[in-house]
Amino acid sequence: MILLLTLTLLLPLLGGIINACFGNHLPKPMPVIVANGAVIGSFLACLGCLSSASGDGLRVTLFTWLSSGSFQADVGLLLDPLAAIMALMVTGVASLIHLYAAGYMQDDSDQTRFFALLNLFVFAMLTIVLADNLLLMFLGWEGVGFCSYGLIGFWYRNTENAAAGRKAFIVTRIGDLFFTVGLLWLFALFGTIGIEAINGQVAGLDPTTITIISLLLLGGACGKSAQLPLMTWLPDAMAGPTPVSALIHAATMVTAGVYLLCRMFPLVSLSPIAMGVIALVGVLTALYAATCALAQREIKRVLAYSTMSQVGYMFLAVGVGSVSAAMFHLLTHAFFKSLLFMAAGCVINLAGHENDIYLMGGMRQRSKLVAGLFMVGLLCLAGAPLTGGFFSKDLILATAFAKGDLFHQAIYVIGIVTAGITSLYSFRLGYLVFAGDFRGEELPDDLPGLMKWPLLPLALFGLFGGLLNLPHLFGGYSWLSGWLNTDTDVLHLSLNSEYLLSGTAVGVFVFGWLIAHLRYRKFVRRESGLISAFLLAGWQFDAFYDRLLIRPFRGLCRFCWQGVEVGLVDGLIEGFARTCISWGQALRKMTNGQISNYLQGFIWGLLLIMGWFLLRAVA
Amino acid sequence: MIVPMEHLLILSTILFLLGLVCVLAHRNLIMILIGVEIMLNAVGLTLVGASAFWQQIDGQIMVLFLMAMTSAEVSISLAMVVYLQRCKNSVDIRDFDEMRG
Amino acid sequence: MTATLLFYILGAITVVATLLAIIQRNPVHAVIYLVNSFFALALIFYLLGAPMIAAWEVIIYAGAIMVLFLFIIMMLEISPSSDPVRSAPGWAQWVPIFILAIALASCTLLLTGLDPVIAEGLPRWHASPRDFGYALFKEYALAIEIVSFQLLFAAVGAFYVGRLEQKKSQREGSS
Repeated sequence: MILLLTLTLLLPLLGGIINACFGNHLPKPMPVIVANGAVIGSFLACLGCLSSASGDGLRVTLFTWLSSGSFQADVGLLLDPLAAIMALMVTGVASLIHLYAAGYMQDDSDQTRFFALLNLFVFAMLTIVLADNLLLMFLGWEGVGFCSYGLIGFWYRNTENAAAGRKAFIVTRIGDLFFTVGLLWLFALFGTIGIEAINGQVAGLDPTTITIISLLLLGGACGKSAQLPLMTWLPDAMAGPTPVSALIHAATMVTAGVYLLCRMFPLVSLSPIAMGVIALVGVLTALYAATCALAQREIKRVLAYSTMSQVGYMFLAVGVGSVSAAMFHLLTHAFFKSLLFMAAGCVINLAGHENDIYLMGGMRQRSKLVAGLFMVGLLCLAGAPLTGGFFSKDLILATAFAKGDLFHQAIYVIGIVTAGITSLYSFRLGYLVFAGDFRGEELPDDLPGLMKWPLLPLALFGLFGGLLNLPHLFGGYSWLSGWLNTDTDVLHLSLNSEYLLSGTAVGVFVFGWLIAHLRYRKFVRRESGLISAFLLAGWQFDAFYDRLLIRPFRGLCRFCWQGVEVGLVDGLIEGFARTCISWGQALRKMTNGQISNYLQGFIWGLLLIMGWFLLRAVA
Repeated sequence: MIVPMEHLLILSTILFLLGLVCVLAHRNLIMILIGVEIMLNAVGLTLVGASAFWQQIDGQIMVLFLMAMTSAEVSISLAMVVYLQRCKNSVDIRDFDEMRG
Repeated sequence: MTATLLFYILGAITVVATLLAIIQRNPVHAVIYLVNSFFALALIFYLLGAPMIAAWEVIIYAGAIMVLFLFIIMMLEISPSSDPVRSAPGWAQWVPIFILAIALASCTLLLTGLDPVIAEGLPRWHASPRDFGYALFKEYALAIEIVSFQLLFAAVGAFYVGRLEQKKSQREGSS
């Protein structure tokens, strides 16, 4: 078991290293095979040690990484139920995406770099998931950040892509700073960075401290998970190749923030204020991203905003105190969102590398299979009844509702409105892409088989993911909640209100569908109004940040550069140099090569010496 | 007693300063060397005077060495004057300012 | 008494001859005046009891060095009229030099006046060539050797400087 767990972590690293070091010397399909083999092997290993994860979990300490005084950081792995379910999801989805990527990237000349980074990403993500202390987790945290940067800017010869990569890296780095501060604070308080040790000792802590630390952790989570106010990087991250978007920016990395909060839930849950803030951040992000998704024109940007929105739901779930709801939504979302992204990649290929949904349409005729798979994803996203997305979203909203007080009622209302908007933009996307006739110009490409069939299991998981945690209402056993041992999130709701809540959810789903049906069934080229332009630009947040942060920073930099550096420092140095030069020029005139002048100076010196003797004789 | 020592020193000072003025004022290499000769003679006069003042022979011997040194100096400097004259066809020191900064 | 009078007369001749020497534009004239001055100086040396030095002053300075100067001047064929403006110092050059000279002279005079020992008179004293020879070849034997080497080096150096130029001009002539 220990071996299997270690293999789970190390196989992707091995694959990444092989590809990074020797990939370019291997014959053509080998890098792909190595990468895929590593990830699939990791998945199988993870599956193998699943049985030992229940209860207290399986732990391995590979070696001591850092040891300094009382500070000790081990490279230690912990496979508890939460980590197990997450690791299984990461490796599973990553395996399918690797297979898809093998088809997607088959013509790319930089395949090796791509697969090396992708494998390293899986390794880093698994480090986050399996780490038993916060420092190792932070290592993985930074690792995924780096791989994400490298993969967003994968086609770096295009300046925009490179800029998007930098933006993602820098914005998440702001969140990482909060995480670091929280981490160090926790170490200062407890003298340890072990996750379980910290969670076991938090009870006696000062509530204010807990609140501040929780908010710091939330800041870190917000950066990685693209929540308000650090969300601007995610839409731009779509510059990367589609498998990257599917793996990193939909299924795994963006959920790292949620996972962090679930991991530290015993700590976070002690502070009602922090919980409230988490819920608020989540639901506001959900609403914000959903409205933005309404107006986007690029298929991947719609999905990016929907990801942001769904991750918002997960934050909401953590905020209302239900880890199992958060994990449930995380799982179903991972399935259907990676499905959507990969299907979107197929659609883009079929439409002749066209991103703009206004230039698509009629994709149904191109490939029935892709259309069907995409629609399955959309239904899950929209929360169609009995799909995985429906159950998980419903559980979150019901948990929020069940809290009962006014704050959580308001959150529930925003959440349900967002659900309606989600349904609306999902079907808008569906109608614009698949209904009507093709509006583009280029001839579609053929699709490699590898790009189609990995979608099938994802579609199945997405559709039937609800079974994982089917509520008692529908005859299930809430398996996931039981697996995670979370007894706190048992709903205290009457049967009637549960039916009412489910009914409302179905209602908003249908409502959103109807509006989309009426508005987008026939494609009409509309002039984009003020509101849609505002939404298209993501509420102008980029411009706002530009004004608020970047321009003042540039101003400061310019001041430092031209004022301090050029003006003061260079001025001082150059002034000094110029003074020296002018002195030198003046003194140069003395050495004019005329021996008479030298001799005269010599005699002046003699006069001085004589004067000195005279002075001494007189005195 | 012939004269006070003081007067002899004054005489040698005047000679020395005349030589100095010659060295400083003239731009002709030959004249500068002549100035140097005058200054050396003034020094010789002082040495002979000192030898007489203390009635010891060493001062006179110093003058002998001074003369030997002067002849060496003059022979080399005049050779160099000839050399310079051949280089630049001039003995004016204002023409030899290659060392100016 | 005669000696004292003679000293002042010879001193005046020396100073005047030297003064005339240094204000000459033509180096030949300067050399002639200087020979004059050296003769007077040689007599002063004799008065001060240094007959050997007086003899050498005439032989080496007036006889050898000054004649060497004359030879060189003639060899170089410097005509004083060729560039009178450049060859002679102007008034502007004289002024700072005279200031310097007067300042130095006053310093020296003040210093001599301040020393009571120097105010004493010079005794009559005579160093015979015999004394001179004993002192020179007994006490200063090593110095004599060094000086003779110095003269040898000077001769070699002068020869080298002249010879190098000759070769160069030959090469230039051949090419």
